[in-house]
Amino acid sequence: MKRLAELKQAGHKAFVAYIMAGDGGIEKLGEQIRHLQERGVTAIEVGIPFSDPVADGPTIEAAGNRALSEGITLEKVLDEMQRFDFEVKVPLIIMTYLNPVIRFGAERFTQEAKKAGASGVIIPDLPFEHRQLIEPFAKQQELVLIQLVTLTTIDSRLEEILKQAEGFVYAVTVTGITGSRDELAEEVGAFTRKVRELSPVPVYAGFGISKESHVEMLRDDVDGFIVGSAIVQAFHEGRIEDVEPLIDAVTAPHSV
Amino acid sequence: MTRVKICGLMEEQHVKAASQADAIGFVFAPSKRRVSIERAQELSRLANNDMQRIGVFVNASYEEIENAVKTVPLTMVQLHGDEPDELIQRIEVPVIQAFSIRTPDDVEKLNNSIADYILVDAPGTDYRGGSGHVFDWSLLENVNLDHSRLILAGGLDRDNVQAAISQTTPFMVDVSSGVETDGRKDEAKIQQFILQAKGDSMERTKEKTIDPVGFFGRYGGQFVPETLMKAVKELEAAYKDAKNDAEFQKEYHHYLKEYVGREQPLTFAARMTEAWGGPKIYLKREDLNHTGAHKVNNAIGQALLAQRMGKRKIVAETGAGQHGVATATICALFDLDCVVFMGEEDIKRQQLNVFRMKLLGARVESVSKGSGTLKDAVNEALRYWVTNVEDTHYLIGSALGPHPFPTMVRDFQSVIGKETKRQILDKEGRLPDAIVACVGGGSNAIGMFHPFVDDEKVRLIGAEAAGEGVDTERHAATLTKGSEGVLHGAMMKLLQDDAGQVQEAHSISAGLDYPGIGPEHAHLADSGRVTYQAITDDEALASVIEMSRLEGIIPALESAHAIAEAKKQAQSMTADELLVICVSGRGDKDMATYAEKMEGLS
Ligand SMILES: Cc1ncc(COP(=O)(O)O)c(C=O)c1O
Repeated sequence: MKRLAELKQAGHKAFVAYIMAGDGGIEKLGEQIRHLQERGVTAIEVGIPFSDPVADGPTIEAAGNRALSEGITLEKVLDEMQRFDFEVKVPLIIMTYLNPVIRFGAERFTQEAKKAGASGVIIPDLPFEHRQLIEPFAKQQELVLIQLVTLTTIDSRLEEILKQAEGFVYAVTVTGITGSRDELAEEVGAFTRKVRELSPVPVYAGFGISKESHVEMLRDDVDGFIVGSAIVQAFHEGRIEDVEPLIDAVTAPHSV
Repeated sequence: MTRVKICGLMEEQHVKAASQADAIGFVFAPSKRRVSIERAQELSRLANNDMQRIGVFVNASYEEIENAVKTVPLTMVQLHGDEPDELIQRIEVPVIQAFSIRTPDDVEKLNNSIADYILVDAPGTDYRGGSGHVFDWSLLENVNLDHSRLILAGGLDRDNVQAAISQTTPFMVDVSSGVETDGRKDEAKIQQFILQAKGDSMERTKEKTIDPVGFFGRYGGQFVPETLMKAVKELEAAYKDAKNDAEFQKEYHHYLKEYVGREQPLTFAARMTEAWGGPKIYLKREDLNHTGAHKVNNAIGQALLAQRMGKRKIVAETGAGQHGVATATICALFDLDCVVFMGEEDIKRQQLNVFRMKLLGARVESVSKGSGTLKDAVNEALRYWVTNVEDTHYLIGSALGPHPFPTMVRDFQSVIGKETKRQILDKEGRLPDAIVACVGGGSNAIGMFHPFVDDEKVRLIGAEAAGEGVDTERHAATLTKGSEGVLHGAMMKLLQDDAGQVQEAHSISAGLDYPGIGPEHAHLADSGRVTYQAITDDEALASVIEMSRLEGIIPALESAHAIAEAKKQAQSMTADELLVICVSGRGDKDMATYAEKMEGLS
């Protein structure tokens, strides 16, 4: 994850792609990661399907249900990652709801995730208050537990969370669930600026990012973008090339 | 509020009697109250998870202390000898250092202690660690002393503890000989001491089973996306405030009386008593509430709270539609905006309630995802809340969800148990021997049980849905078959597969068709205080007919599970015993199901 800090120092923006592991079959996982890293993404979030994904909108939920019907589990994903026969050049971050982790065992999860080459973990329903359930084990394996901050996070709490932040901070740019949006609210810019001022680590904007106009709007206020639904849907429909302009819009060197 | 420690415990029944205290003490130093580490470990298992377990030592070695801390395990260490500061520093858990107070000079010593807490006691006579003599509390007045570190001991008993507290405002009071009779702990004295020390704030001390983030033992918590944390915290603060506000309580009770029609009778069921040939059966008549079930007790409370927080938009989920109807009703009454999410499957089987909600002006959103039942409706309601959190209150319908919901819903439903307690004492002059209630998410049951939880002689039984049988794939028997997991904001028990995917529940009764259980029930199940039994669809249907014909009361399908379980309990009970059934709702909403299932009924 050090790479992310270096990227920030060099003045480049990060593009983090979210994929639903096993959407279309487990063998697609390696393929998709390979494709994305070749297309120049900065890091990849590997989503684990869950029966009750309350932070997710219809696109990711549907992808999760497809993966579940393929029999995908947290264990299968971690096993598959350990078997990759190509070099993974970008940080991989496991994104999963808490329950599969608890069922698998928090300690075992962090050990297997490490072996699978992951650098970090995001658990959207594990708030800062309860991070002890996972964080001590993650630390042992040198995995970072990425924190989310949102438009509704009050200032005192924001400071607390940012003080402890590692890897990068996930700045949620909508008051709502994941999914593509036409427009982002005006207040988002001020929010990400505030987060960025306080954060010791890079700040990436996610939830609802699906268009170049979003990137243009926030480019100067964040260190990178996380794109989920748009990528998941593009892979599902076999037209990932449609997302390439968005990747380029973020990662291309930008004249000021 | 001053905490209470009961010290020198040696027997099981005394540990249990101290369950409302904040701390229990085990003496490892030479004393007539000395226990071994193994014994302390056994006794400690009987105490609530959040109970402080304090070990008392006199000049023990670090290794000895460390071993006890790890083995029992202890959460605090209390030292009565001449332990050096280096030792105190090495101990990982908080340390209490004890001092004997004779003169004002002795008080000076207290401030020099590096321990986390200081315990003051009258000088010992026979052995160190407290003599039971009263020391002069006035010595602690007008001296510069941090009272938030102060633990008061020495000669306290139920008669003087209140005075001692008001004179010295200590962090904790510590009693041992003051709760004994003839040198042995006395259960009644322990309980009376705690009651006196806590005064009438006893109700609130039950909250201590909840730590700041809202756990019942290992269950509960606030496992929600960050976007909801602000709302959840605001709700926590607003509820705390409202709970202690007499005006709020008055308003809540006003609506319960004038609008819902409380209090509801505790009806003696003469013919059921006769037919079952066992205990006297009493029915708590939640079916008589306006809107037809207990759900309205909670809906009123939360709707008042929402308005207090300035929120005039309400989102709710519903299974059987009873909670949806109750919410839609209250929203009409208070002119609030109302959206109700309901599973597609439930909409089919509870059409009457769907129409009622619409008639009342609510928007009913059909949820076709998953099994199209309650779990999926909660998911959608949560998503809606995440998106509209700034102006919307999520009026959850059962003792589920992130803290403070499980506590708040329980409190609003506790009117059921409180009335029942008063009524049975009126009618029978004593508490019942057993109480049965059905559990879906667990709100009617926890409301009924909560006021009886400390009355250990009252057996509490929850009836969950076995659907087509707990050994089939089609049931909702969460406590019989479930395991620990996180769903809808709380650590609870869940029906789930090996990969942690939540499974679909099945019950003929839409209100019990949920794969989780409220966190407090999960905790009560673990502790053994409440037992949970599973009742099949067929057993429930048979009970519907039985009660309808014996008592002229047509119960809701959910409530019929409690009736079926009560009948089983009655088999092993005698005529001089009392059995209370919570009839959580009436059967009007289930008429279509009854008509279909009982075709040809004669
Ligand atoms: C009449 C009735 N009883 C019981 C329940 C189950 O809910 P809980 O376990 O929260 O009391 C319901 C739920 O819809 C209900 O309508």
